[in-house]
Amino acid sequence: MTTSTRRIGDTLLKLEDISLSFGGVKALTNISFEIKEHEILAIIGPNGAGKSSMLNVINGFYHPQEGRITFRGQVRRQMRPYDAARQGIARTFQNIALFKGMSTLDNIMTGRLLKMKRNFLWQALYWGPALKEELEHRKVVERVIDFLEIQAIRKTPVGRLPYGLQKRVELGRALAAEPDLLLLDEPMAGMNVEEKEDMCRFILDVNDEFGTTIALIEHDMSVVMDISDRVVVLDYGRKIADGPPEEVRRNKDVIDAYLGVSHEEMAAE
Amino acid sequence: MEAVGLDVLTWMVDFLSGLFVDPFFAVARRPDKLVQILIQGVSAGVMYSLIALGFVLIFKASGVFNFAQGIMVVFAGLSVVVLIEAGVPAILAIAGAVVVMIVMAFAIERLVLRPLVNQDGIILFMATIGLAFFLEGFGQIIFGADPKPVPVDALMIPDGKIKVLGGLLGKPVRIYELDLTAAGFGALMVAAIIVFLNRTKIGRALRAVADDNQAALSVGIPLRTIWVLVWSLAGIVAIFAGVMWGAQSQAGFSLAVLALKALPVLILGGFTSVPGAIIGGTIIGVGEKLGEFYWRGVMGDGVEQWLGYVIALIVLLVRPQGLFGEKIIERI
Ligand SMILES: Nc1ncnc2c1ncn2[C@@H]1O[C@H](COP(=O)(O)OP(=O)(O)OP(=O)(O)O)[C@@H](O)[C@H]1O
Ligand SMILES: [Mg+2]
Repeated sequence: MTTSTRRIGDTLLKLEDISLSFGGVKALTNISFEIKEHEILAIIGPNGAGKSSMLNVINGFYHPQEGRITFRGQVRRQMRPYDAARQGIARTFQNIALFKGMSTLDNIMTGRLLKMKRNFLWQALYWGPALKEELEHRKVVERVIDFLEIQAIRKTPVGRLPYGLQKRVELGRALAAEPDLLLLDEPMAGMNVEEKEDMCRFILDVNDEFGTTIALIEHDMSVVMDISDRVVVLDYGRKIADGPPEEVRRNKDVIDAYLGVSHEEMAAE
Repeated sequence: MEAVGLDVLTWMVDFLSGLFVDPFFAVARRPDKLVQILIQGVSAGVMYSLIALGFVLIFKASGVFNFAQGIMVVFAGLSVVVLIEAGVPAILAIAGAVVVMIVMAFAIERLVLRPLVNQDGIILFMATIGLAFFLEGFGQIIFGADPKPVPVDALMIPDGKIKVLGGLLGKPVRIYELDLTAAGFGALMVAAIIVFLNRTKIGRALRAVADDNQAALSVGIPLRTIWVLVWSLAGIVAIFAGVMWGAQSQAGFSLAVLALKALPVLILGGFTSVPGAIIGGTIIGVGEKLGEFYWRGVMGDGVEQWLGYVIALIVLLVRPQGLFGEKIIERI
């Protein structure tokens, strides 16, 4: 529905021939694809296909042995987490990585850290301009909180929140950074239908209202078909398909990969 | 046979009354002593808290129990003393020591922490043991092995005695100005650290790193800078401890052991809790001094040396996570 109102732009991030291995394990083999401005890209594939590794390469947690990453026209062998954050890449994690002892508000506030300019001394004094700056950032954070409809848990330490809400707070922290590229690793995993619907709505709204480019990993195919503009499919560390959702759904390799996995899963259970 | 039994009995009674009854008579006889001991205890406690805080900060931010904290105290204290001996004005000598400790923090991050990033806590711990031995040897080359007196006059640390409450308690309470100074400045530093942690963006970043390294990196917190920062902070705390402890005896390598007194404080307060470090420090400090004075008769000298550990041990039996540590629940 939103697709019609958004313009998908130029290439924002380009990955070329990325290969990554851990010791003997090849997590990614010769992967190339692009993420275009303003699009919602879904990365799918069976368990262990290398989806999370892909996101980790993009924001610099993993350093591929081969390949090139071009972000905003700048070519790199690898990203580094600090630079990635600085350049406008924010993310969430498959296993929620929140600051458990801190409140929702403080967690989301950390998303603003890179935007804060006042130096150490001002900060130490917590006075004048630093205080004013803190308040400005608070405003942005409050907007994020309103947007995600989590006013009620502003002061709650996130460790005490139910899983679904933690996922939402984690999204909030990423949004607070006002990213250009948002990486979401299974944002809806473990949620009930209602929570999933909410999350879908938030993702679409972020993309629509702020034009944020989003790359997300998701297992629920109906969700993927609903919200993504394009789908990249990984299997055993290789890319087996890349295209619009309807096309990918009909792709034979993809069907095979998924059938294979569902057998395995049945065997495992 | 009967005589022996009786002997043991009398000994037991003596011992128990020495532990649990006599102290009260002693307090009634000389209330001034109690006040004096409490003040000494609080003063010692503030110092322990401060050192423990150094441990807690480093533990939270880099997940390592810093065995080298003690030798850092020695290094810091001796730097101040040596600079003053060389004719540098006190204030510059302290500034110099701050520089030394910051340089040390940078070096430790670069040479020890960075190569070992993502390793298990136990490996980092062993690295800090190595670091402690290295610094000990290195320090003896630079400073010489002999302890040095701290020039309290140059540092303008009062070291006289004052007498108060004479009318109230019969005899006046004698207070060492050194204790008061240590307690006062120590409390100030503790307060400054707490404000810093809770009110500044760097404090927030630090808490974030302590909570989750990965997440902290993902929002762009520079991990290395934070590490350098906490090690510098621990170093600055060490300067204060080195000077104040040095002033009470001498500044030398034996002070390193004193810093390990923070261990029972950490066990008591929990390794990750700032309030725990403060309250734990006070309990151990006061407990030690009380024990030393009132139980010396039955336990012999040196109660102070081990009482803290016994207190910590008892707490450990009841609450393995310490008084204030987060409860350890393994997710299954
Ligand atoms: N840090 C690591 N060290 C060693 N091996 C790793 C590491 N990270 C990932 N791998 C391996 O790389 C492969 C791909 O893992 P990855 O987590 O990227 O898969 P995934 O597609 O996200 O799977 P899932 O759907 O289960 O999340 C797996 O074989 C995994 O064991
Ligand atoms: Mg994954």
